[in-house]
Amino acid sequence: MTDLATEPAEIEAAPAEPSRWRTGLEWAVLYVLSIAGALVISAGLVAVTGNSWQKVFGALLDGAFLAEGRWGNTLTVAAPLLLVALGMVVGVKAGLFNIGQEGQLLMGAMAMAFVGTKLAGPGPVLLVLGLVMGVVAGGAYAGIAGVMKYRRNVPEVISTLLLVFIAYQIVGYAITTDWFLRDTDPDRPSRAVTSAIMPEGIRLPVIRMFGNEFPIGFVIAVILAFVVAFVLVRTVWGFRFRLLGSNPKVAQKMGIAANRTGGMALFISGGFAGLAGAIMLAGGSSGFRLTTGFATNIGWQGLLVALVAGSNALASIVVAILFAALRTGSGFLASTGVDRKIVDVVQALLVLALLIPPAVMFVRRRRKALAMADEEIDLANEEER
Amino acid sequence: MGDLFSALADVFTSPTMYSSAVRLGGFLAFAAMGELVAEKAGTINISVEGSLLAGAFTGAVGYTIADGAGISGAGAVWFGLAAGVFGGVLVALIQANMSHRLTADQFVVGLTANVLVLGLAGYLSANMDLVTHRAEVIEIPLLVDIPLLGPAFFGQTWPTYLLYPLIPLTWWLLYKTRWGLELRAVGENPQAADVSGIDVNKRRRQAIYYMGILAGLGGAFLVVGQVGTYDTGAVGGRGFIAIAAVYFGGWRLGGVLLGVFVFGLADAFRLAVPVLGYQLNAQFLAALPYVITLVVMFFITKAYRQPMALSRPFIRGLR
Amino acid sequence: MAEANSEFVLELHGMTKRYGEVLACDNVDLKLRRGEIHGILGENGAGKSTLMRMVIGLALPDAGTMVLDGKRCRIVDPTQAAEHGIGMVHQHYSLVDALTVWENVELGEHGKLDPGATRERVVEITERYGLDVDPDATVRDLTAGMRQRVEIVKCLRHEPRIIILDEPTAVLTPSESQYLFEVLVQGVRREGWAVALVSHKLDEVLQATDRITIMRDGHVVERVLTDDADAASLARAMVGRPVTLRAAAAAAAIGAISEEAIATSSAEDSHEGEPPVLEITGASVKAADGAVLLDGLSLDVYAGEIVGVAGVEGNGQAPLTRTLSSLITLDSGTIAVNGAEVRSGRAGAMLRAGIAVIPADRHDSGCVPQMTVAENLVMSTLGEVSVRGVLQGDEISERAQGLIDEFEIHAPSPDTPLAQLSGGNQQRVVLANALSCGPKVLVATQPTRGLDVGAIEYISGRLREAADEGIAVLLMSTDLGEIAALADRILVIYRGAIIGEMARSEFDVERIGLLIGGSTAEAGVT
Repeated sequence: MTDLATEPAEIEAAPAEPSRWRTGLEWAVLYVLSIAGALVISAGLVAVTGNSWQKVFGALLDGAFLAEGRWGNTLTVAAPLLLVALGMVVGVKAGLFNIGQEGQLLMGAMAMAFVGTKLAGPGPVLLVLGLVMGVVAGGAYAGIAGVMKYRRNVPEVISTLLLVFIAYQIVGYAITTDWFLRDTDPDRPSRAVTSAIMPEGIRLPVIRMFGNEFPIGFVIAVILAFVVAFVLVRTVWGFRFRLLGSNPKVAQKMGIAANRTGGMALFISGGFAGLAGAIMLAGGSSGFRLTTGFATNIGWQGLLVALVAGSNALASIVVAILFAALRTGSGFLASTGVDRKIVDVVQALLVLALLIPPAVMFVRRRRKALAMADEEIDLANEEER
Repeated sequence: MGDLFSALADVFTSPTMYSSAVRLGGFLAFAAMGELVAEKAGTINISVEGSLLAGAFTGAVGYTIADGAGISGAGAVWFGLAAGVFGGVLVALIQANMSHRLTADQFVVGLTANVLVLGLAGYLSANMDLVTHRAEVIEIPLLVDIPLLGPAFFGQTWPTYLLYPLIPLTWWLLYKTRWGLELRAVGENPQAADVSGIDVNKRRRQAIYYMGILAGLGGAFLVVGQVGTYDTGAVGGRGFIAIAAVYFGGWRLGGVLLGVFVFGLADAFRLAVPVLGYQLNAQFLAALPYVITLVVMFFITKAYRQPMALSRPFIRGLR
Repeated sequence: MAEANSEFVLELHGMTKRYGEVLACDNVDLKLRRGEIHGILGENGAGKSTLMRMVIGLALPDAGTMVLDGKRCRIVDPTQAAEHGIGMVHQHYSLVDALTVWENVELGEHGKLDPGATRERVVEITERYGLDVDPDATVRDLTAGMRQRVEIVKCLRHEPRIIILDEPTAVLTPSESQYLFEVLVQGVRREGWAVALVSHKLDEVLQATDRITIMRDGHVVERVLTDDADAASLARAMVGRPVTLRAAAAAAAIGAISEEAIATSSAEDSHEGEPPVLEITGASVKAADGAVLLDGLSLDVYAGEIVGVAGVEGNGQAPLTRTLSSLITLDSGTIAVNGAEVRSGRAGAMLRAGIAVIPADRHDSGCVPQMTVAENLVMSTLGEVSVRGVLQGDEISERAQGLIDEFEIHAPSPDTPLAQLSGGNQQRVVLANALSCGPKVLVATQPTRGLDVGAIEYISGRLREAADEGIAVLLMSTDLGEIAALADRILVIYRGAIIGEMARSEFDVERIGLLIGGSTAEAGVT
């Protein structure tokens, strides 16, 4: 029995595949055009407000790498971005779309703040404990979405998102409540609402090189990137995640329970974000204090890093540094008179630009196959006349 | 806790509560209706948030231009609303064409579009002087005197009333026209629709444009019909509530609007409580609408009523 | 090129279609006459469906011409085909479950939506051709037979002159098939339709057509008038080689070949005193919307035997297969392997108990096209290719290569994505994965559907081998020929339960036909 409306794996392939050089060239051209397009639009936006894009570009470079101490800043920012991205990668491979990292990050930061400001003990021990609790807090928070998904089929896209807004409020509550995290030190510097400052002994050690400094958070993140890459490709666990993400039914058949494995993937995904939050706090974000607005969109941007990197753990390292560069570079934009928000626009444009080439290539292949078939018919008809 | 229960009783018997609910949830109603149509066609558009924000921004721009050209009051509001539609559709264009012509993942495109709009709106508005005023309240005589709910539905700013004809219009489009029939077919079984000669992705794109129109209108409404001033953080992520509303409304128009109303009530609750003299934790109140949404979704979501092909991209030849 | 001839309403000349490396249609000529039912006979993969796809506009030919009423034409989509008076009764994917009958009939039309007019039209057509369908019924609630009637109404709505039916009786009971042929004959006589009936069933084609074109491997091998044809010659032409076991049984099923031929096939085992390997008792489960999927289904399979489950699609084969794949939790009933009960619905439980499954739709739950061939091959035995959780690349390669060699899988390399392999090779991968974990029970559902002849022969042979090695094989198929060729014992499934059983030696086509149609009384249920 056959279906006429669909075909087996022999889908309409082009009768003759163009040479690999030609295909490679097409890809390269598409990417160059797309990225150039994104950059041109960005330059245009700058020009529209009456500024010079050269100056903007220069300021970005300075701010990100060239000026003194800046690339250290870039790496500092890259660390949490990379961690969030890694969590996203794990989730995506398992077929889950967790987009609540901003909230999970805050939970992790809160856990670290609690450990750092409310517990007593030797510094390094508390630091490690804080990092671990950060992972647990972020993971558990994502776990809520997991429960909702596997018990009641609530899509994690929506639940993780809603949880972000709730997280904002939880943090707000925490830092305004004395018994929780509020800074009760009468000598605290500003009137802004914040948690107590992280004691010196519990801050992340800092690496100093060539006049730059960055917390070891970055090193941790890079190591974890390699770990994730290894686990996904070379271990049974990773295989299970990938199988679940590719075909949940086959996974179930092979013994991979969607709720357990998927739930674990969500937990890990949130855990990475939580770790990012903990590292941010222990690494000096917001002056070592948990404040409203602490997350500064790292969660959202980490998401984008993963997507731009094609959900690839190692590629995420590079993309995270790139995105971090845009962020730290934007700090130097004030002098050019261009608003910092342009950087967000450039980022989004780049992401869109990177989505275009694969999509276009796919469509072109199909059109070519159809066109070739058409040509032959036309030729045949011509001969007959 | 006792505080909470008496607050609830007081608040739910006050007409201002319902009035606020409609006022606060109004813009979401536009967006949710639009997204409903898009989801009936099988697409999920996270970019509804971006459409809302684009609508808010272009709406503000439109109003400013009209105002500057000497058109006053209601005229400027119309101008703003129309400009808002334009903004919403622009975002919808990106989502529709990248996801349903170029086969890029619709979640990724949606997320990215939101970031783009947020950045653009923030960037451009920082360089502009946007002048907006709130449209005036027009009470519909007689109807506004209905106890408790009268002022809520018939005593609002006049752009709110645009919602009312849109509801039956949307229903008619979905269930009484060929376009709607094809749209629903495309969302349930795109292969069958394709074999019957319907251009699946074209219908999907059109459904998304409809969402763009409504969401853009909603965003503009937010600026000139509700709040009165433009602020890039105005939408603040609440576009996702529109998607949540479609889910727990079971993909039916009535359910979706009810969901939006409930969210509006929760938001109104937050504001009503301190006004009525009660002291409830501020963050708890602010989080309440989201918590309620989550709880409701947990208990009520009926996954089996969703359009069968929801969120599955269609490419002929591939299942 | 032949001159325009009013006798032929449609002429196909030199139709050719290639899919990648596979030549699906090779220079095919076909002529359809008015007022005639023309059977297009061939095995799976012969090219008959591809040919029809081109006629109806769902595929574009690489070469060839179509002449309609003497004028050359080119059809690029179904709408155009309809305009030219060509209609098709589809099998799958052309009705939307959630919509009503009249809405489905309306789908694809143009102009203002007028439910009243459409309903009238539906009633008019159903009354004219004796098809009993309610315009306001929701398609989801209809049986397969009734859905086909909706398809027919949809097709007839455009008053076609040429009607194509592709394997129309696949989901019908014998009585429904009968009914369909009556409708066709009536239409052909009254309206002068030209009907193309695509099928791989000998008996059907012999019964319902006026003329037969036989296709094999993409080209036409014979054309006969039905009156001049008989099962044996058709079978030979279809297969093109010394008649195989399968074709022999198929032909025997309609009583054309001697008993001898069948007796030389594998002997039956008697299994007195041994417990069954697979024992299903009273399995019942309902879908979320209340539809009954399995209704007290019970069956046993003993070691070393092939039990064939015959039945029209949609009577519980899919739920049964899914249950044995750990994808469905039973509401009641038990499944036991070697006496030990296995919990349904628990991930991997069936596999761990020794039940390996080849599902009807390999892309749904049989294999993962995005992963590599090697990954698909080792996925059921991960424990054996890993050390403390880390996958050992060499072991995997070795094992994969071993399986590739053993199962004659044609793949550029073990690291090729599975999606790049042909259907037949993908099915070999599924088979290899299933057999490589040393199962006690092998479940094969529609294992050879849509495959080329070589793959069919191979897989059928492996199933027999598996049984010979002591595995309990459960074969579910809608193809009686396949069942007749392979099964030692035949069960019939109907509406979620097993309603009849017969041993190979008692094989009686008529009785099976009755059982398949659900009439237990006349069939004398055992």
